[in-house]
Amino acid sequence: METTLFYLAASVSLISTLLVVTRTSATHALIYLIISLLSIAVIFYLLGAPFAAALEIVIYAGAIMVLFLFVVMMLNLGPSQMAQERRWMEPRMWIGPSILAFILFLEVVYMVAGSPVVTPGTAIGPKLVGEQLFTTYLLGVELAGFLLLAALVGSYHVGRRYMRSRREEVE
Amino acid sequence: MDLLWLIPSFPLAGFMILLLTQGRLPNSVVAIVGAGSIGAAAVVAFIVGSAFIDAGSMPYSQLLWAWMDVGGFTPEFTLYLDGLSLVMVGVITGVGFLIHLYASGYMAHEEGYSRFFAYMNLFVFAMLMLVLGDNLLVLFLGWEGVGLCSYLLIGFFHDDAENGLAARKAFVVTRVGDTAMALGLFLLFRELGSLQIQTILHSAQTTWPDGSVLCTSIALLLLGGAVGKSAQLPLQTWLPDAMAGPTPVSALIHAATMVTAGVYLIARMHDLYLLAPVAQFAVAIVGLATLFISAFAALTQNDLKRILAYSTMSQIGYMFFALGVGAWSAAIFHLMTHAFFKALLFLAAGSVILAMHHEQDVRQMGNLWKRLPIPFACMLIGSAALAALPLTSGFYSKDIILLTSWDYGTNGPWFWGLAVLAAFVTSLYSARLIFVVFFGKANSDAASSAKDGSGWNMSLPLIVLAILAVGGGWFGLDPVGDVLPDGGLEGAAHDPMLVWGTALVPIIGVLTGYLVFGGGQLNVDKLLETSLLRTLRRFWFSGWGFDALYDRVLVRPFIFLAALNKNDFVDLLYKGTAALARGASQLVVRTQTGQLRWYATSMAIGLAIVMLFVVGLL
Amino acid sequence: MMQTAISVPVEHVLVLAVALFLIGLTGVLVRRNILFLLMSLEIMMNACGLAFVVAGARWVQADGQIMYMFVLALAAAEVAVGLGLVLQLERRFRHLDIDAASELKG
Repeated sequence: METTLFYLAASVSLISTLLVVTRTSATHALIYLIISLLSIAVIFYLLGAPFAAALEIVIYAGAIMVLFLFVVMMLNLGPSQMAQERRWMEPRMWIGPSILAFILFLEVVYMVAGSPVVTPGTAIGPKLVGEQLFTTYLLGVELAGFLLLAALVGSYHVGRRYMRSRREEVE
Repeated sequence: MDLLWLIPSFPLAGFMILLLTQGRLPNSVVAIVGAGSIGAAAVVAFIVGSAFIDAGSMPYSQLLWAWMDVGGFTPEFTLYLDGLSLVMVGVITGVGFLIHLYASGYMAHEEGYSRFFAYMNLFVFAMLMLVLGDNLLVLFLGWEGVGLCSYLLIGFFHDDAENGLAARKAFVVTRVGDTAMALGLFLLFRELGSLQIQTILHSAQTTWPDGSVLCTSIALLLLGGAVGKSAQLPLQTWLPDAMAGPTPVSALIHAATMVTAGVYLIARMHDLYLLAPVAQFAVAIVGLATLFISAFAALTQNDLKRILAYSTMSQIGYMFFALGVGAWSAAIFHLMTHAFFKALLFLAAGSVILAMHHEQDVRQMGNLWKRLPIPFACMLIGSAALAALPLTSGFYSKDIILLTSWDYGTNGPWFWGLAVLAAFVTSLYSARLIFVVFFGKANSDAASSAKDGSGWNMSLPLIVLAILAVGGGWFGLDPVGDVLPDGGLEGAAHDPMLVWGTALVPIIGVLTGYLVFGGGQLNVDKLLETSLLRTLRRFWFSGWGFDALYDRVLVRPFIFLAALNKNDFVDLLYKGTAALARGASQLVVRTQTGQLRWYATSMAIGLAIVMLFVVGLL
Repeated sequence: MMQTAISVPVEHVLVLAVALFLIGLTGVLVRRNILFLLMSLEIMMNACGLAFVVAGARWVQADGQIMYMFVLALAAAEVAVGLGLVLQLERRFRHLDIDAASELKG
């Protein structure tokens, strides 16, 4: 019965991801992406990684996707944009990448298939994760902090509105 | 005789001094250095020569130093004195000194006085090395040196581009001959293992049978070199144009010394030619053809120096002819007398030209005999010697040659006949020269106001050379006879009728010349107006069309080929490599589209291929 | 919190992760709108995270989830900067065509 849940969640994520890449409206695509992320979160929970599931929902779907939505709203993409998207997305554009993806898919399936490994079914709670995180992987945590700080400063600088006039001031 | 090495050293020292001071010395000092060095060499030559003759004319060689030692090839710088080289040295230093003396006055108002004497001294040095060399390598050194100096001196007035062209023409044409000579030297070294002249002459007789192909080819190649340097057929086109140089240069280089280098070479290598009768016959043919052609060409020229140039060509033709028919000593004798009277003619012509304010066209001259007494007397004597009138030195030398040719093989009389016809023409144009230039009426203002402004340093050499032109026939040439196969100037006895006939021909020629050009009694104007004569005249005037022939056959195809190769196909290798690299780069640059999705696609394709490797399918 | 987990064949989960990754890759290669490009990148990163987590579940170690957290931090940083760039491009070109930003051509 639990495996059925897994396959159900898996199909939901697959379908919604497919829908994400084929929509013309950015907002619709984002909503489908959130659904995909949520279904992945369910899979995480089923695999015994509740902490990861929680993080997925809170950070990925809750922060990053919301950020996307903010930008989409800010850019005010209207019907003209959707029409342009429709023009850009001709069916013949899909042929090449699809073939490529298919080849890669076959390769990986060939590699992975036939191994009878099964997940043991033991859950790993947040406590265990925290223990590992702050002892073995402490350095990684600090580095992640660096990364986020750099991203913070970078995104502030890159996104500034008056970059052009500033440049003129310097010159 | 140990002083032999001083003879070439004096001119060399003169050259070095003038080279290093580069025109900073005043003209008088330059003249003393330039002419004095040759004079000192002449004095030493006289001393050495007398010692040589007193010692019985035994060949003497003086080793200076070993030149190089390369794989068993060890030429040395050795000077070799025997009768032949003594005569040459005497001519070069003696006549050379007189010409230098004359030049110190002639070139006094020209720019580049110091440069002129430096080049002249270098020339004399090279010429002396040529005749004193013990082995062919030293001879070749001198050979190339005189070629260089000839180029430098012909193009001396370098402001006019025409002079440069004439100099270049001289150099390139003689180069053709030099290449043939070099090939001959290579063959000689390969076959006989040495370049030492005496060694070659002895081992040639033992190594090769009479008339061997190898010997003949070597002899012919050396003849090729001689032909180039002495301006004989077919390499004679440069000599008339070489008159662009100053008159003393024409006198020294293109009359007395450099153009005789070819004669010297053949005389020196006489054993080779005795072994190869075909080659000797070729020498005679070349000489005969040249003397015949240039005599007629000289008859139609209008430029004073060009007349003398063609006459030089003709006289050297006589020398080659003499060598070819076996009159070896006579050829050298004629070389010596020719040096005297031709230098005299050129220097006197120089005085005439100076007095005429550098006008060289004889049609502008006339009635100068009273105005320019000394040049007139000298040219008269010189022309007489040229025409081989009796009692002049030219008479003795040319007579022996003509008489010897009568005895030559089966065709002797034909040779004699052609040579005598050319002698007739020679006297004809000599007479024309005298009558047109000095008699008649003055044809231009320059002629009517000509004045002889030469000082003692120009007149003295003229007088000395005039004396030599008349009395030079009395020099005994016994030392030469020891070297050359015919044993001296005593030829075989000949039919007195033949002797008298040969002697009378020049006199008849001069009389004819007087009738045509002098008094005008024999009016040939009607004859000259006919179309036949007119085309003949044009033909002879252009030197029998050789310039045009060479232009059509050699120069134009060469220029055509050079133009074809304007984009040098050898360069294609380098340009092609660069173009290939550039083209390949352009191809590869196409992958840099600047588009993000294309880069991602290429990454994905790469991933697919790598995965195939990982999976093991590839 | 319920400490339950199920047993699924690892290869199925891996195949799912790969499928999601490849869908994201296709999206990157096909879409011209920058925003969709970034979304497809997010899909790809999410798929990677899934692979890590399932690996951790198979070996019953926390390392999988920790790796997933790092991926998450990375994704967040990348999205922040990326969206800033999108804003700049939009201001410059007044449209969101990634093909227009090709000044590095040649």
